Amino acid sequence: MDLLSNLIILLAGGALALPGIDFAFKRRVPGGRLPGYVAVAVLVASSLLVGFSATRTLEPAFASNLFRVDLLGVLFSLAVLLVSVFVAIASLDYVERDPNIGVYYSLLIFTALGMVILAFAVDLLVIFVAWELMSLPTYVLAGFSKRDPSSNEASIKYFLVGALGSGLILYAISLTYGLVGSTGLAETFSALTRIISEKELAPLAVLSLALFIGGFGFKMAIVPFHMWIPDAYQGAPTTVSTLLAAGTKKAGFVAAIRVLVIAMTALRADWTITLALLAVLTMTLGNIAALTQRSITRLLAYSSIAQAGFIVIGLAVAPTSSLGLVGALFHVLNHAIMKSAAFIAAAIVIFKTGREDLANFNGLGRRMPFTAFALTISMLALAGVPPLNGFWSKFVLFTAAIQGGLPWLAVAGILNSILSLGYYGWLIKRMYLDDFEGAVRIREPANLSAALGIGLVLIIVIGVYPTPVIELARNAVLST
Amino acid sequence: MAFLISVLIFIPILAAIPTFLIGRRKGVYANRFSLAVSVVILALSLYTYAGILRAGSGAEFNLVEGPIPWVTGLRGIDYYVGMDGLSAPLVILSAFLTVLVIIGSGRLIKEREGLYYAVVLFFEGSIIGFFTSLNLILFYVFFELVLIPMFFFIGIWGGPNRKYAAFKFLLFTFAGSTIILLGFFGLYAFISPPTFNITELVGRIPLWLQILASIAAFIGFGVKLPIVPLHTWLPDAHVEAPAPISVFLAGLLLKMGGYGFLRINLGLFPDASRQFAWVYILFGLLTMFYGAIVAVTQKDLKRMIALTSINHMGFVLLGGFTGNQIGISGAVFQMFNHGVAIGLLFMLSGFIHEQAGTREIPGLKGLRVTMPRTAILLIMGSMAAMGVPIFSNFISEFMVIVGAIAVDVRYAVAILIPIITVAYFLLVLRRSVLSPPVEGVKHHDMTPSTTTAMLLYLVPLFILLAFPSLILDVVNPASAVLVRTFAGV
Repeated sequence: MDLLSNLIILLAGGALALPGIDFAFKRRVPGGRLPGYVAVAVLVASSLLVGFSATRTLEPAFASNLFRVDLLGVLFSLAVLLVSVFVAIASLDYVERDPNIGVYYSLLIFTALGMVILAFAVDLLVIFVAWELMSLPTYVLAGFSKRDPSSNEASIKYFLVGALGSGLILYAISLTYGLVGSTGLAETFSALTRIISEKELAPLAVLSLALFIGGFGFKMAIVPFHMWIPDAYQGAPTTVSTLLAAGTKKAGFVAAIRVLVIAMTALRADWTITLALLAVLTMTLGNIAALTQRSITRLLAYSSIAQAGFIVIGLAVAPTSSLGLVGALFHVLNHAIMKSAAFIAAAIVIFKTGREDLANFNGLGRRMPFTAFALTISMLALAGVPPLNGFWSKFVLFTAAIQGGLPWLAVAGILNSILSLGYYGWLIKRMYLDDFEGAVRIREPANLSAALGIGLVLIIVIGVYPTPVIELARNAVLST
Repeated sequence: MAFLISVLIFIPILAAIPTFLIGRRKGVYANRFSLAVSVVILALSLYTYAGILRAGSGAEFNLVEGPIPWVTGLRGIDYYVGMDGLSAPLVILSAFLTVLVIIGSGRLIKEREGLYYAVVLFFEGSIIGFFTSLNLILFYVFFELVLIPMFFFIGIWGGPNRKYAAFKFLLFTFAGSTIILLGFFGLYAFISPPTFNITELVGRIPLWLQILASIAAFIGFGVKLPIVPLHTWLPDAHVEAPAPISVFLAGLLLKMGGYGFLRINLGLFPDASRQFAWVYILFGLLTMFYGAIVAVTQKDLKRMIALTSINHMGFVLLGGFTGNQIGISGAVFQMFNHGVAIGLLFMLSGFIHEQAGTREIPGLKGLRVTMPRTAILLIMGSMAAMGVPIFSNFISEFMVIVGAIAVDVRYAVAILIPIITVAYFLLVLRRSVLSPPVEGVKHHDMTPSTTTAMLLYLVPLFILLAFPSLILDVVNPASAVLVRTFAGV
């Protein structure tokens, strides 16, 4: 059987079985942790499945006009599955005593399944179905702390904006179908090349392009579609915020790459400059807003917006520089790791102290040494300090921007990196230089720390020796 | 010995981990252990240096390792290190100052010692890596690695206003280094085949690219050196940093700027540097005059010393961009001398602050009576900084000024700098050392062992006055190469 069918069976089976397992074993296994372990096992197994297939020749999928099993999909699904593993491990501590724990993990795996299918989909309708499969569970997950009003608010806001985004995508799909008479990406590509020269139809093609950018933009967290992000990340349980920031956001990027860069190359004159402007806007606004935040989740949310801007640089220069997509892919992967680590560190602090304001991070270097160290490293990686993984992907992105003839984009990126150190450095200053009154050593929870440790090791290892990952990203781009 | 340079870089970095672990048991063990490591590194670096000196091979890169491909997906990012006449003196300076800093920290640092000595060794390895990198990305990586330890040094072990100073330092230098990186990206994107290897890049960069990249490098290295409008982080950082860290800051960190100017601006962008040499020289003169004049007005002894080093680093810029051999060699020599002399002065100011409870110059009266040994050392250190010809600082300042006059006789205004320097040092000495003591004030003077540790700083300056060829025989061949590229031959 091909990779995708295996994955679908594994993940869907796990997701459907989990509530049952929870119900059946609730009384017998103390601590109610069993569903968590099953979920981690399922996700690790699927990550391994994807990881091993990256080194083999890939078989075509069962319905090859709907799916395309290529390295791009493998890389993306690996990234999102890794994030799901992080989230699942972190959740073992974080949602321990919740009565609906089986449903929680089930929804988590459904989200992962949606993201995996999205990574391989090459048909607009399948993309839409996968998009919804990925989004719907996260609406519930965001409101999972049902007695917490801010979680409810986050969920409602996220749901409304998400529905709007899906609506835009669906509208764009119907326009495209009307124009080209097919929902396959390959047919869209060839038909659009023809249509672009016809006067009456070209504006419609541009309109559908704009709708796609808007629809995907909601998930990708690019300005001006970003306003739901800080509220949702702050209100949702922090583990779920990790999933949103590091997981589903990346799925937005894979959809954008498949649809914009590959299928709509004919319209590139229209989207290159749009995306370049959006990138600058997104980076700058995200960074400036992050400077003023007082809560760690909001700070990370804005930083996540800013990082989305960096990734969009790669998309913008993709038609003119071969490194553009490589950089975007590489940064997507790195950002998934760095942001997961940062969010999990934040989750540890919130979990143990119940506070998320930045003043609570004062003196963290002494109160929770490992968490503080890991958070520092992930912050430095996010800021692009070498030799950590974030440096290399920004490196590839900026080189691509200069090579692709948009050097001002690289300048904007560099200036934004400096700006971002303003808040990353400030948090590091709080953790190591400031004192916390009545500081006591706090025990760090084992499972959360383990997830954090994996992220930390990945950040450093990829930072010191990035070659294999860059090669993988390059091959992934070539495979499309 | 193969891999000698990698040993010099990575042994201290790796030794940081055991140092930290040892320090958790007892702080003093961390001190002893890191001292042992740094002495070994000093011995190895002297051995390396002696090899270059004996072979007279300062003109080429010695003990080259690599280029070993690091990121194979992107061409020209290699692990590539080597040592020539420009870097060799700075490597022994780094090793030497690290030993003295560890000795000097024993009394002053009493908090989180394991972490402190671990960071000291990490700093040493990174800075040696910086001076020996032959690949621009490796160079940049070490450039940034040096920044993080310094942030923690100032931020954790600094004075009352340390957080402000540490953060300001971080933002300034990070901004500077990121701008340099932008310049490197430009080189990479527009040169074919793209590469970051310094040896491969020489002579292959078109003029317009040289000009753009040298603007980026000018800002980046200018923050580190520092050049005058970009210097404002330095007095704050120095005032807050503990004395041994000021030694690192002035003795080594500023040299990164100087080395960068010589290696990158002069070596890689010679045509742009030739065209705009007057800009560099004017900024050098501005920096010298500004540092000297502002130093006159200072009341805080340490702030004054910090401003002196701004003044002295201006010599490096002036000497380097004269483009003649005596000027460039003088600039390198000046970096070495200044690093050692300023180290002594900072340690003394730290000692005086600790004993007298103040660094305000008007509050320090009659040191010749209250602390005679300290007073003598202060006089000797000041003489070194003034350029009195009993220490080698005299030779290097002389060389730079001669080199400058050879280019344009108007640059002779630089002669005024040693005069102003002498004036403010004498003013300080008269007010603190020679003034009558306040009745009833009693300070502890230095113990003989501390005095010996301080005298160690003066040893190389003394030897190099008598035998300047020990440095110049290594530096001159390297600066001759720079002179040739600068002349466009």
